Amino acid sequence: MKIVTVIPAYNEAVKIEKVITKLKPYVTEIIVVDDASQDNTFEIAQAAGALTIRHIINRGQGAALRTGTQLALGRDADIIVHFDADDQFQAEDIPEMIAPICDGSADAVLGSRFLTKKSKLPKSKEYIIMPLARLVNRLFFGIKLSDPQSGFRALSRKSAEKLTIENDGMAHCTEIIHKLFKNNDRIVEVPITVVYHEFGQKLSGGFKIIKDIIIQKLIK
Amino acid sequence: MFQQLLAIIIIAFFLIRLFEQKKKKQISANEFLVWLIFWLSALIAIIFLKQIDILVAKLGFSGTGINVLVYLALLALIFLVFRMRLTIAKMEKNISELNQALTLKK
Repeated sequence: MKIVTVIPAYNEAVKIEKVITKLKPYVTEIIVVDDASQDNTFEIAQAAGALTIRHIINRGQGAALRTGTQLALGRDADIIVHFDADDQFQAEDIPEMIAPICDGSADAVLGSRFLTKKSKLPKSKEYIIMPLARLVNRLFFGIKLSDPQSGFRALSRKSAEKLTIENDGMAHCTEIIHKLFKNNDRIVEVPITVVYHEFGQKLSGGFKIIKDIIIQKLIK
Repeated sequence: MFQQLLAIIIIAFFLIRLFEQKKKKQISANEFLVWLIFWLSALIAIIFLKQIDILVAKLGFSGTGINVLVYLALLALIFLVFRMRLTIAKMEKNISELNQALTLKK
């Protein structure tokens, strides 16, 4: 099975090499989509052995994931793993993430920070932002997941072919989950560990996600 | 009465234009619906201007027909900004698609 990791990267020159090195034992190919970084993310990722492509202009994480997923499909990937460039996800979680797809029991696997493995989340994220995100997902999309904002996911080829990511920004997370459910994909949540180096998405970012989802719905 | 008639003519003009745009597929179904609701609401407001005057007065405003028209104009401006936001979003989407095509073509 050809397992391809897609990493959207923006100004990640400091961490990208470490991430690629850690991923190598677990995947067949690593695709880095440099979203028009101002540092030398592109050169470092290329030197580290990843298939690296570069957006001409910065379009956001969702857009980079869309480009990377398209490329992965074009390179005959059987399983596509979305992974972050900031070294917060653990590469050793990948075998558990792809196992349900390999044994045919799932089409899409979503990493969850709130199952058995313990991630050290900032308190405000754990007790305010995430419960709000869960509530929004339940109210607007009827989706009940333990972690509605995880960027660590594995998709079967079939699932990735049906998926069209339209949100360029951070709203892609909610959009992807919503579309996986809409496409009747068999979805499994798998526990993952996330090591936080920085806070990441803030509450204001959450409101921007909601705004982006509404605008996306209207321009359809 | 003349003001009301003039406003109805203007709204009718925009409604016809809206249906033309929909027919030519220049706007999406959702956008069409938003504008349809907006212009129909304006039409209803103009037709029932006197009742609105009473309602506005009951709410404690020194309301006249012209006040209501000003409120409507403000609403129209808000919707125009909203429409511009949607247009920008569409353009952003096109830019992203172009960006992706160029990236993958390399």
